[in-house]
Amino acid sequence: MIEFQHVFKSYGQGRNILADISFRVTAGEFVYVAGPSGAGKSTLLKLIGGLETPSRGSIQVNGHRLEQLSARARPYLRRSVGVILQDTHLLYDRSAIENVLLPLTVTGLASDVARARARAALDKVGLSTKENTPPIELSGGEQQRLAIARAIVNRPAILIADEPTASLDRETARRIMSVFKDFNRVGVTTVIASHDDALMAEYATRAFKIEPGKFADSAARRSSTATTQTSGPGYQEPQIGGAAR
Amino acid sequence: MKSLLRQHRYALVVTLRRLWAQPISSLTNLLVIALALTLPLLGASFLISIEPVARQVSLTPELTLFLKTDAANGVADKLATRIREEHAGQIVKVRVIPKQRALEELRANPAWEQALKVLPVNPLPDAIVVELAPGDDLAKRADQMAASWRTWQGIDIVQLDSAWVQRLEALLRFGRIGLLLLALSVMLVVLATVFNTVRMQALSQREEIGVARLVGATESFVRRPFLYLGALTCSLATLISFGVAHLTLAPLNDALAALARTYDTEFALSLPAPSILVVSVLIVAALGALSARWSVQRNTRF
Repeated sequence: MIEFQHVFKSYGQGRNILADISFRVTAGEFVYVAGPSGAGKSTLLKLIGGLETPSRGSIQVNGHRLEQLSARARPYLRRSVGVILQDTHLLYDRSAIENVLLPLTVTGLASDVARARARAALDKVGLSTKENTPPIELSGGEQQRLAIARAIVNRPAILIADEPTASLDRETARRIMSVFKDFNRVGVTTVIASHDDALMAEYATRAFKIEPGKFADSAARRSSTATTQTSGPGYQEPQIGGAAR
Repeated sequence: MKSLLRQHRYALVVTLRRLWAQPISSLTNLLVIALALTLPLLGASFLISIEPVARQVSLTPELTLFLKTDAANGVADKLATRIREEHAGQIVKVRVIPKQRALEELRANPAWEQALKVLPVNPLPDAIVVELAPGDDLAKRADQMAASWRTWQGIDIVQLDSAWVQRLEALLRFGRIGLLLLALSVMLVVLATVFNTVRMQALSQREEIGVARLVGATESFVRRPFLYLGALTCSLATLISFGVAHLTLAPLNDALAALARTYDTEFALSLPAPSILVVSVLIVAALGALSARWSVQRNTRF
């Protein structure tokens, strides 16, 4: 569950990037955040992921109040939120599987168990044959899928993605969205920021529209049925390659 | 616990990989630190080797009274008896070395044997060796007694055998302070080198650090490889400095041995005891880790 209550965010003495934002996302929802560039979509996602702290207001993620969370405790929250940023932030001097292993390594998981889980994550995003390939040799779509594999390998309850289909062709973008939808189906709360209204409309169950000084929470495009899981591991063996909806 | 051990193992592997990734840079850093550490190590070797010599001699402070060469037989024994009576509380032992015995002892030394053969008469005087009781005011007492005995009938020269030892001890004190200052300077060099190495590594690993934080790495996890880098670099550099110092001491000892033979003695410079070397590795490694921690804290705020 994600809850924003009267959240403001500004940098330094500058203007508010986000002003008085309030909303609630229940477990298992698929939310699409729309808005023009500079409206604060990325900031909103970073706040959910605990990568930024609110200037004012209250944010609750998975039962933790972010503004009350100590710097020492924040990394542990991040492990329960899979983050895919606009720039995939992959390590280009490592192989695909080493990239996916990193979130498991930081938790101190045994290497054989970690490797098995990393392979499973790569398999779920359709990259099982590329585990030893460095990201630089992967296509844009494959790099996005690798970033998704890294984000979901820790079995997060929430998955957030910032413009995951921005530089991809239509077909590849649909494939990426299908991956997100598969994880959402098994209970992973998914929040995606994108410019592509048409594509998002096909997958999201709810949309937030952010514009400078405005925030709108649309009615759900279709009723959310993925409310089966409210806590704990986010996904359980989703099937890749099935229908998007 | 197992999880923490795995994280430490990962940090160690990452550290070794980073060292290996830049072999020239890593080797240069190691050599700079190793050479800097070699200087105080050589200084310590010198002081540690020479201190027992000074201690051994200064433990037996002696005054030697040389009688006039024309002094009659028995004068030395009488003077020895007088010394025992007048300075009973201040002396440990008094022994008389007759001129004939002194000559025989000198003849036993091959260096003097030929020279003494050409002399028509024994040029040596009778001597009295007075071993003084140790105490804080030893130097002052020795000076007073020497001044008093010089006025006695039949005494030619009074030689204070411990004077050169006192000078040596003063030199050693100077050496110890110099060594301390040198060690402090080298410590600063080590700290600065490790700080800069870690700074460069942290900047080049910026992306990796960012990704690690993104996926939930704690600050300890991020810092750990850098702490290992500092500690490992310093440990290896210290071990290299032992090797360099050992190699440096070998030719020095050859020259010293030749010099010592002319004094019919043996002397060699040696590295400090193994226990001290182990402790020094640990101390330098801890310094490296501390410097690395300081550096990584300052240079990973992004």
